[in-house]
Amino acid sequence: MRNRLKVLRAERDWSQADLAERLEVSRQSVNAIETGKYDPSLPLAFKIARVFALPIEQIFSEGDAPAQAAE
Amino acid sequence: MSCEVPESAKQAGRRYTRGMLLAGALYVGLVALGVTVIRQMSPPQWLIIVLALLPALPALLMLRTYLTFYRALDEFQRRVQAEAALITLAVVTLAAFSYGFLEEWAGFPHVPLIWIIPAVVITWGASAFFVRARYK
Repeated sequence: MRNRLKVLRAERDWSQADLAERLEVSRQSVNAIETGKYDPSLPLAFKIARVFALPIEQIFSEGDAPAQAAE
Repeated sequence: MSCEVPESAKQAGRRYTRGMLLAGALYVGLVALGVTVIRQMSPPQWLIIVLALLPALPALLMLRTYLTFYRALDEFQRRVQAEAALITLAVVTLAAFSYGFLEEWAGFPHVPLIWIIPAVVITWGASAFFVRARYK
């Protein structure tokens, strides 16, 4: 699964630790998700979507297809 | 300043350290008690059995402390711990199994089963380190 976490985080000028604090997870978790080494559970994916105020499909995408960027 | 780990995880870490220290102290105390009583008082067999089983209590306390800690981790950290546990299960059981054959067939020196828990703890720590490194 691919994701736009790094881009979205950079747009908001958040560090990995900032995002981790908002998601109530460890910074290592954010790093693993961002690098695509760990796919979050559905509840965590929804929480990520809530934190970025975006629909899930604008953050995560299946396989190699890029996630839909917000218009 | 942002934290490396959430506050709840930090509290869980502190509880974990406290629980493990308490269990460790209890373990040392119970082993010392057992050794002293068995060596100096020639107790009956039933008391020796009770004394020999007592160190399992702090081991159970360690297990409870670890489970409490595990439940406080986030889902990614739980994945790391679960993978480390599986690797530990495989490595320690395979090592014990193989060494059993070496003892029986090749005359290797006997190693008491008491070393199983230290082997699990050390292997678990090393496994968690390598699993975590793989996700970096």
